[in-house]
Amino acid sequence: MISSIIMSLSEFVSSFLPFECMDAMFMKRALLGLLLIAPLAAVTGIQVVNSRMAFFSDAIGHSAFAGVALGLIFSVSPNFSMPVLALFVGFLIMYLRRGSRLSSDTVIGVIFSAVVAFGLAVVSRNRSVAKDMQMFLFGDILTIGDAEIASLIVLAVAFILFQFFGYNRMLSISVNPQLASVHRIPVAAYQYIFAGLLSLVVIYSVRAVGVILVTALLVVPAATARNFSKNSGSMFWISLIISIISVVAGLLISAQKWANTPAGATIVLCASVFFVISLIYVRCQPGKTSDTEK
Amino acid sequence: MSDVICNPHHEDAVILSDVKIRLGDNLILDNVNARVPLGESTAIVGPNGAGKTSLTLAILGQVPYKGTISFPHCAKPGKPRFGFVPQKLQFDRDMPMTVMDYLLSGIQIMPIFFGYSGKHRERILKMLDEVECRQLANRSFGALSGGEIQRVLLAQALLQDPEILILDEPTAGVDFKGGQVCCELLNRIRKTRRFTQLMISHDLATVAAHANHVICLNHRVVAQGAPHEVLTHEVLSATFGLHLGIPDLHNLAKDVSKCS
Repeated sequence: MISSIIMSLSEFVSSFLPFECMDAMFMKRALLGLLLIAPLAAVTGIQVVNSRMAFFSDAIGHSAFAGVALGLIFSVSPNFSMPVLALFVGFLIMYLRRGSRLSSDTVIGVIFSAVVAFGLAVVSRNRSVAKDMQMFLFGDILTIGDAEIASLIVLAVAFILFQFFGYNRMLSISVNPQLASVHRIPVAAYQYIFAGLLSLVVIYSVRAVGVILVTALLVVPAATARNFSKNSGSMFWISLIISIISVVAGLLISAQKWANTPAGATIVLCASVFFVISLIYVRCQPGKTSDTEK
Repeated sequence: MSDVICNPHHEDAVILSDVKIRLGDNLILDNVNARVPLGESTAIVGPNGAGKTSLTLAILGQVPYKGTISFPHCAKPGKPRFGFVPQKLQFDRDMPMTVMDYLLSGIQIMPIFFGYSGKHRERILKMLDEVECRQLANRSFGALSGGEIQRVLLAQALLQDPEILILDEPTAGVDFKGGQVCCELLNRIRKTRRFTQLMISHDLATVAAHANHVICLNHRVVAQGAPHEVLTHEVLSATFGLHLGIPDLHNLAKDVSKCS
């Protein structure tokens, strides 16, 4: 039942791309997966850039190793252990960041190193899994399965609901959390829900582009949109459009015979091209400074 | 005098009893007992590091404290509607966001990327008119000057329809005339909207001219009361820890309070 729905959805999205490389079923499924991940990553990216949480999302991405390790220890599928651990790490960082007087970079740095060390230690003991680690480092969207696409659809629904009621509140909070809290926005609740959604979006994005490039998938479209826009509305739409164009173009280019590159890296390269264009655009606009920092 | 008209029964909007704030080993506030009269303009004065900002944050429920802070006259018991204008808003000035975006983000549920609701937009423009900066509505929030940001933040605080408006140094960084204009504006808005105003100020002349009630704070309450009773040489030197060569504030306060 679910797999037939996913199959027809994949056929539907692929019908807009009449290319030879899109004939294979795994490409159609990859396209559907990417079209689900791209908007989530783009919108999360806006909030990550506005709240300066790029390092936060990087730490969650790197928890993927530890997620695989946990899966090995308790002999459960990494498809289950990775999101669970990512959620745990996300909530833990948010809790420490809210309650501690340490700078949030320090808190994240400590947890980041701890989860990576744990993951490497456990995974390296197991030769067969160690070979598969390449998949986590560089992503492997072409092998995405029905179960993962189904859970992405569930995540997308939760995400859209949150953004519908919370997008404006998140904007207020990213300007100044204390002021937002005084003005009766339940800041803690929003921050925890956002940390949870961010963790899940990041861990599914690891599937698409890998641990190393996951932050780029979130941050580059948002940073590009910042350079192009003057108000919050246009930043949202530009970021969304750039993200979707990048994943589609990246997937198509990677499948061409002349390119034959990994999909994840190609996607991030496409997004980076947009960023370079945005920098040139800013240079041509007097009086606007570029947004080159993360 | 205006305070008699605003608050005939001398009721209090905020009552602080034995409020203590400790940050690590530092006692920031030591047994603070103070009142903020309902519907009037109260000023907190004191030297740097006296705990003025901590006191306002405690009232706003943003820092843990010992003791009790009660709000006997607010509509929802214990949870008054606050408006807050911080001293210097720390934010990312490169964020693409107009003044309208920022103000809408606090009151509109529908995500702003779907557009502005006409009703909320009208309300914001009216509020910007009231604080005399309607022309800023479509400017980038991050590109505004310090004084312009203060006005936008005042508009934002007023959009909360506050019972208690708290301002942290509203006249800091504004020249003397700007400070006067700002206080006159606040007095005018307060009289039409009937909220209680509590502000921190360094500027004793402005306090003398525009506040009905003054709290002199230096880790504890040195004195509180009407400006002409409190702003004396004795109290000020006890508060600030040195003798201040200020021209006769006693008379200044009386003179100006007549016209306010």
